[in-house]
Amino acid sequence: MPISSFYGLQTSLRGLLAQQRLLDTAGHNIANAATKGYSRQEAALVASPALQIPAGGIAGGSGAHLGSGVDVQQYRRIRDQFIDLQYRGQNTNLGEWAARAGALDSAELALAEPGENGINEQLSRFWDAWSNLANANADPAAAKQALIEQANGLADAFQTVRAQIGLVQGQSYAEYANLARAGGVPSPGDPGGEVAQIARDVADLNDTIRRFITSGDLPNDLLDRRDQLLDNLSEFGQISVEEQADGTINVSFVDKASAGTTYPVVTGVTASWAGPPAGDAWSPGGRLGGLLEASRPGGTLDGFLATLDTVATSLATVVNGTYGGTFFESGPGSAAASLRVEASLAADPQLVVAGSGASGTRDIALAVSQLRDTATVDGAYRAFVAEFGSHVREAIRQEGNAQVLTNAVENRRQSVSGVSMDEEMTNLVRFQRSYQASARAMSTMDEMLDVLINRTGRVGL
Amino acid sequence: MATRITTSMVQRNVLADLNAITAKLTKTQMKAASNKEIARPSDDPFNASRAMALRQNVNATKQYQRNVEDAIGWMDASEQALDRITVSVREARDLLVQGGNDATDQTSRNAIATELEQLIESIKQNASATYRGSYLFSGGETGVRPYQPGADDGYHGDDGGLNPATPGIVREIGPGVTMTINTVGSDVLGGGQAAGDDKLLHVLRNAVDHLRAGDGASVRGTDLDGLDANLDKLLEVRAANGARTNRLEAATTRLDEVEESTIRQLSSVEDADIAETLIALNSQTAAYQAALRAGASIVQSSLMDFLR
Repeated sequence: MPISSFYGLQTSLRGLLAQQRLLDTAGHNIANAATKGYSRQEAALVASPALQIPAGGIAGGSGAHLGSGVDVQQYRRIRDQFIDLQYRGQNTNLGEWAARAGALDSAELALAEPGENGINEQLSRFWDAWSNLANANADPAAAKQALIEQANGLADAFQTVRAQIGLVQGQSYAEYANLARAGGVPSPGDPGGEVAQIARDVADLNDTIRRFITSGDLPNDLLDRRDQLLDNLSEFGQISVEEQADGTINVSFVDKASAGTTYPVVTGVTASWAGPPAGDAWSPGGRLGGLLEASRPGGTLDGFLATLDTVATSLATVVNGTYGGTFFESGPGSAAASLRVEASLAADPQLVVAGSGASGTRDIALAVSQLRDTATVDGAYRAFVAEFGSHVREAIRQEGNAQVLTNAVENRRQSVSGVSMDEEMTNLVRFQRSYQASARAMSTMDEMLDVLINRTGRVGL
Repeated sequence: MATRITTSMVQRNVLADLNAITAKLTKTQMKAASNKEIARPSDDPFNASRAMALRQNVNATKQYQRNVEDAIGWMDASEQALDRITVSVREARDLLVQGGNDATDQTSRNAIATELEQLIESIKQNASATYRGSYLFSGGETGVRPYQPGADDGYHGDDGGLNPATPGIVREIGPGVTMTINTVGSDVLGGGQAAGDDKLLHVLRNAVDHLRAGDGASVRGTDLDGLDANLDKLLEVRAANGARTNRLEAATTRLDEVEESTIRQLSSVEDADIAETLIALNSQTAAYQAALRAGASIVQSSLMDFLR
């Protein structure tokens, strides 16, 4: 079977077109080098179907395949799903510790320890005031006035610290509730919290992607965008992703505490996020889990508030017991938030009883001043500060660790999916040369045909 | 598999390293500026709590020092008053010796008796001395004048400090250490003739009566003996007070030492080591500059610089 003289032109043309597509892909990669969540693409080339030469086409009599050039088989993104899973796991961890460290860190500032303005210093001055009263054997009016002022200062310090920690607790919970709130809450038109918004974006992308995939297309850039949204979602809590045959994904939060109870976020093309379970009875990990753990009743901050209340109660009990009457009172509610000097003493400091005996005795004031450094008050408060500090330190350390691990995984992901400028440059040179060479091949064909058409059969002309 | 190093990886790593060094540098800079090793409990929870305890110790020690100073002031005032009383008693003794002599006639004895009455007034006056508004010798009743001028020799204070059941004037001079600092007037001067306690006022009033009655023998005998016994008692009380003052002065010295060593401990726990901090600051600054330079040369260069 004779082979067309123009066969080679077609082969070169295929080469030219394929090299153009390669250059296009490199251009696309370079353009998206800084795009977040972009994974580099490559055009997969295959040799195009060969021309079959029937038996007897070549020497020896058998048939043969004559190469016909190259075709683009597909444009694919270079991505490792396994690294994605690792990244999301680490990102969840990072989100959790960052949220906890943030909440604890701002609560720690309220303590103002160690320093001149914290409860420790106020306690110290409070005991000093009693000691001064014990020394004022004649005319204790000024010492009593000073004592009540100082006692008010101490009570204020307790109230302020408690209020500040309570404020951080409230803010953390508000942030959690706001992030996790479902769409349509509180008003029907409300887009919901960040989780609900991501859920809607993923559901929309699912719909678009499904239509391309069912018609056999691979929408690389849409897949990248969906993966990027999942990365964002993984910061909020531990997610599980199930890929469906039609290219959509089902996403749900996984409860870390109750062995795998799931809370659906996206189901197919529907955003199915309905907000956190009643009573927040879950621990999703991530930022939601971190904020919830810090702020929920019985959580970290709540525990600190309870300890502070215990210290305030001990202070009132110990002082009142030695004073032999009511000096400090508290309640209703939290002891630290309501600690105050008994109303009649606050109104008239001269009513403070300093001695049990004759006019000059100050045995009661002396006994109270000797309460200085009581284990259940000063000691308990110091232990509280040390425990608080340890928690903050631990949270900050864990956040640092999680950050390092997340960075390491992100680096591995970038190593696989990231765009390397040097590589793209090299590719550009390679593809351009290939293009040039294909063009040269075509010129050669052209010259061959020129010889055949214009110069053949002109012998003797 | 050889790792692909992509442009964004290089940028991320350079940025992460710069951030890490800057964070360290900021922390060191804060340390150097504030001169504090521990700015917040989370910097070092254990030492933060220790620093708080040491701060309390420093404050407590300062308060004990104030208490001791006040106690020493009280003791000095007591000692001065007792010293003046002793002088008066010695003068009274001389008068008694003179008045008890049979060679002294009644007119002179009457004059001596009058002089003795003035001394009694002076003794009672000194026994009513005050320190910062408190009567020194009234026991717990610091607002009550212990001895009234004139014929009334009765003691108006209480026996606080002498009787263990009645609280006296007490100062806290150390953790859990208290000290009673007052001297009870009735212990030294007694309650006069009405009380019949053979104390100073009783003896002196008796002597006055005996002098007026011309009973030289009693003046020489029982009165002089009684006065000597009271002089001894007075010296005994002063010796006891002197011992208490010594104890207070020893306490001051000890408290000073405690304060100094506590402040030193606090400083070693809480304050930054300036030399170490500055060296760290320098080496971190150098590391930061090196990282900037390395980052700049890596991030800027690309294959593009070398391709035509």
